[in-house]
Amino acid sequence: MHIEDHPVLGKQLQAPVKFYFNGQEYKAYKQQTVAAALIANGIKKFGLSRKLVQSRGLFCSRGRCCSCYMTVNGEDHVRTCMTRIDEGMIVSPNLEDPVIRSDRDGD
Amino acid sequence: METEVLIIGGGPAGLTAAFEMASRGLEVTIIDESFSLGGQLCQQTQLIRALPSAYQPMAGFKLANKLTEQLKDFSVRYLLGHRVIGLYADGSIGVTDEKDVFPVKAKKILVATGAAENAISFPKWTLPGVITIGAAQTLVNRDFVMPGKEALIVGSSDFALDVAYQLMEVGVNIKGIIEKSAVVNARDKEKVNQVEKKGIPFYFNSYVKEAKGNGEVEAIDIQLQNGILTETVDLVCIDGSRSPILDSFYQLGCSFGYQEVLGGWIPQYNKHFQTDQKNVFLAGNAAGISNHAALLLTGMISGISICEELKVLNRDAFKELTLSYWRELENLENKDAWQARIRHIEKFSAPLLKDQFIS
Ligand SMILES: Cc1cc2nc3c(=O)[nH]c(=O)nc-3n(C[C@H](O)[C@H](O)[C@H](O)COP(=O)(O)OP(=O)(O)OC[C@H]3O[C@@H](n4cnc5c(N)ncnc54)[C@H](O)[C@@H]3O)c2cc1C
Ligand code: FES
Repeated sequence: MHIEDHPVLGKQLQAPVKFYFNGQEYKAYKQQTVAAALIANGIKKFGLSRKLVQSRGLFCSRGRCCSCYMTVNGEDHVRTCMTRIDEGMIVSPNLEDPVIRSDRDGD
Repeated sequence: METEVLIIGGGPAGLTAAFEMASRGLEVTIIDESFSLGGQLCQQTQLIRALPSAYQPMAGFKLANKLTEQLKDFSVRYLLGHRVIGLYADGSIGVTDEKDVFPVKAKKILVATGAAENAISFPKWTLPGVITIGAAQTLVNRDFVMPGKEALIVGSSDFALDVAYQLMEVGVNIKGIIEKSAVVNARDKEKVNQVEKKGIPFYFNSYVKEAKGNGEVEAIDIQLQNGILTETVDLVCIDGSRSPILDSFYQLGCSFGYQEVLGGWIPQYNKHFQTDQKNVFLAGNAAGISNHAALLLTGMISGISICEELKVLNRDAFKELTLSYWRELENLENKDAWQARIRHIEKFSAPLLKDQFIS
């Protein structure tokens, strides 16, 4: 849920944006991070851990723990707590190790 | 890129240091990996009472604004959304904008990278919905998002009680505060009263036995002194205290000592907040976890030390200012933190770790 009217800081959510998670459209606001935008829409599970295949989601929200890795607009392993949401962003869960050497990188 | 002074971290410590230097004419560049200045102050809505004499008591986010505002008349360059990731052979700092990497050459470097929150582990603590108290505060006060409906708080420091209260204000139901010792950890009795008045139970001599849930946290088993209590929750906020962020210090080749009270491993420094790498200074929580007054004062002390070294502050004025800032620090810092800091400085030339990586 978005906090439309904050008890101390007032109405701060002004510029709505649309984004997509697993093909479905969701609403967020410009100044929010990708991780926060997902949590506002009830999505807490961002991916699976590589070895034990356990659920992972936001933990520190300051870029230190890497528990919030997801694929954003085709880029793997993005720290979603340090990335701002933007209009039309396509977000998908982090389910496995990224392909490090790909044709895209010319290797 | 070249600059006289590079400040790594635009939190309260970096900003007060910047003010000392930029107001005396030094060319200052502040780099911060987040999108705004103010560091972790930006999401703090509680009133901060004890501050250096130059500042009135005010809420954290207002202080962040003030520290940013007071720089606007001076020549300060900001590299927001930029991260320090290493060091070049010639001593330049390696900076990335997440696409490219480029060198920044500076005469003096001030590291004010702050602190990271520690985890408290228990079975299934990695379930989504288990987050740090700082993360909860960030979601509520910076991103304007409800992190959950029913919550437990693990830990009872001042910080934990502030966050418990701030969560309640936006409508999160706090089901309890779990504390492993027999008493509240918070020093500020007013904060304890505030929470008690709302009828939130404290569970003393207790700990989390296990988190339960399928894909996200759904319940917590609390191990009480006389049995187990199961609470259904969708949010668990853990306060594992904080440790200084040291990455940049390793890269710069600084030595380290250990002070439990200040958060564990910290770089060696002297009373000018200068490390054993002569051109590297430090401030804020990166120099040891302390209260807000100390964050600002350590920034001020390191700032004037660089001013003196770069000859924009004469020796007498420098000595006098150093003395008065240290006096304020002694008055405003908690006694145990102050004593640990003095012990740490006394051991400046006897580091525990040199030329090696600790993690
Ligand atoms: C999420 C969170 C919430 C907090 N809330 C409270 C609270 O309610 N009450 C309280 O008393 N204390 C709180 N704290 C403690 C907090 O650390 C201090 O209040 C204060 O903000 C520390 O000031 P600082 O200037 O030392 O560091 P910070 O404010 O943390 O600033 C350091 C800055 O350095 C930047 N940085 C770090 N590494 C790099 C790098 N390699 N490259 C570029 N930039 C970098 C970071 O992005 C950050 O902006 C909180 C801490 C956290 C993590
Ligand atoms: S939640 Fe820790 S890095 Fe994003």
